[in-house]
Amino acid sequence: MNSRDLRTAYGAALACAVAICAFAVTSTLPRLLVHLEGDYLRVSVTPHLNFIKDRVLERLKDGASVQFLGQLTITQGPNSPVTEARAVARFAFSYDIWEQKFAVTKFGERLDQKSSASLFSADAAETWCLDHMTIDRSLIPTDRPFYIQLDLREEDPRDRLGIVGESGVNITQLIEFLGKPVKNGPKPIRIVTNGPLRLADLRKAGPG
Amino acid sequence: MVSSMSRTAFPLLAFTLVYPTMCCRVFAGEELYRTAAESNVNQRYTIESIAVAGVQVDEAKLPSRLRQRMIALVGKRCDVAVLQDLAGDLRRELHLREVNHHLIKGSQPDRVRVDFEVVKKPVDISVPKFLYHSQQGFTGEVNATTHVGQNSFTLGAVSNGDDLTERFTGIVARYENTRLIFDRLRLGIDFEDYHEQWNSATRSAVASDSGQPFDLYRARRNIAPRITFAVARPISVSIGTSFEQTKSEDATVGDRSANAFTAEVHYGRKIEGDTVQQLVDGKYDLRVGSRSLGSDYSYSRHMFSLRYEIKSGRQTASDELTGGALSGDAPMFERFVLGSSSTLRGWDRYAIDPLGGDHMIHNSLTYGYQFGERTAEVFYDSGAAWNFGRSAELRHSIGVGYRQGVFVMTMAFPVIQGKIEPVFMAGMNY
Repeated sequence: MNSRDLRTAYGAALACAVAICAFAVTSTLPRLLVHLEGDYLRVSVTPHLNFIKDRVLERLKDGASVQFLGQLTITQGPNSPVTEARAVARFAFSYDIWEQKFAVTKFGERLDQKSSASLFSADAAETWCLDHMTIDRSLIPTDRPFYIQLDLREEDPRDRLGIVGESGVNITQLIEFLGKPVKNGPKPIRIVTNGPLRLADLRKAGPG
Repeated sequence: MVSSMSRTAFPLLAFTLVYPTMCCRVFAGEELYRTAAESNVNQRYTIESIAVAGVQVDEAKLPSRLRQRMIALVGKRCDVAVLQDLAGDLRRELHLREVNHHLIKGSQPDRVRVDFEVVKKPVDISVPKFLYHSQQGFTGEVNATTHVGQNSFTLGAVSNGDDLTERFTGIVARYENTRLIFDRLRLGIDFEDYHEQWNSATRSAVASDSGQPFDLYRARRNIAPRITFAVARPISVSIGTSFEQTKSEDATVGDRSANAFTAEVHYGRKIEGDTVQQLVDGKYDLRVGSRSLGSDYSYSRHMFSLRYEIKSGRQTASDELTGGALSGDAPMFERFVLGSSSTLRGWDRYAIDPLGGDHMIHNSLTYGYQFGERTAEVFYDSGAAWNFGRSAELRHSIGVGYRQGVFVMTMAFPVIQGKIEPVFMAGMNY
């Protein structure tokens, strides 16, 4: 094999490696799947979206309550600042330290509007959470394509930091309050659909 | 009159716009957070025991009020919202960075044990006082404190145009040991280094006053060690010394020492009834400048304050009486001033006496009505500052205030015949 053939073989091998890596990365990136169910548009994520993990899971297993704020947004484009429709839901998670079960409560727009479930695994609690994020079908444009975006964010109890106390304003806590989202606070999860969707297609296609 | 109103109106407008925005940001989410805590599935269990950093609450070194609150929770339902409140109070009182509660399985299936895990804070930066006064300008203090065991070290910066005849600006440093030999004994050492600014009214008064030669100093430095002994729960006694040196503006006077023995007796008691809460607080402060300490000044300064507060439902009423007497040859910073943010509010201190007085008596009566976390107040101040051998003129002022936590906004009106000159004040802890 001469040097030219060798270079060609190396090039081909490199291209294959890049392609395999690209495939591996893109196939593991979570995708938002959308389907219609009755009057509501519902979402699911593949592969499974695991957000009850690490510190959140530790806090739950310590008996604390953890809140997540979820938001579904319908826009005209993938990065469009104009929102066509939006649905927001607040979820409170806790973990029964004796029965070793997860409990999740969804709060509606009013605090007394709520639904709850008790589930054996974090995966099941996460799935329940996504199943209960819906957007009213009547709010979705029927005459043009749209993009849907899911945002999930852990609600940080920053008001509990004690910025204002009897001894005045605590600057250390205020800096922590203002700096936390950037430095070491909970990271928001954002998933955007790959392409434009049409309501008519969803109706025909069903889930997916 | 117009300029006085505009001086007042602008900061009032600015504060009214900025303050609610800041408060909303800080306090937002409290109700939602509480609701989430109340949905916690562990609420149905009973608390078997409580520990702080692994130490049972009976043995943990905690302020007694917090310890009692924790002990009261044992045997009760595990209310996660209450545990979160306790974690917040622990963090504030013990100057910690973070406090988290952990629930652990108890000895029986319906019981849980609570352990508060604590994370220490390396440095605590706080603003213990901040004030905007439409006549006097800004007064503020910023402190950085670090705690090592029972010891705390504080370094701060101050600019104060409110407490004395002069504005003093500089640095403060403080060391405090909260447990010297035994629990009831505390040691504290204060260091202060200030640069002074004198009002033109004070300078004119010094120049024209032929009775007593007042020394206007451009700087002063103080080192003040003290020991405090908690005699019983409501009473504490402090004794110490103050080694203060002033640098006169007059080169012929040079440096002077105002070294003094200091003593303070403090009584504070809270009486909590089912519907009525009362607070009684009294303080007596003595400073004796003595040549035996190498002082150039020889004087004695007595000051007392008595405060009574009663709270029932949404209503609060309080009365605070303060008085003082100074005899001998004392430096300017020991003289009594009325017309500050807490005495004869609304009065110009330099109109009362640009040199301050060697005697003072003052009373402040306040009534407040609470709306949630907010309190609307009306107050009536009366007092006099005078010099020994001269007649005392009693002055009055009235005003309204708005208070939310440590934030206070006040509009005060000195009672002067034929004139209405409101003074606006806003800030924290003044």
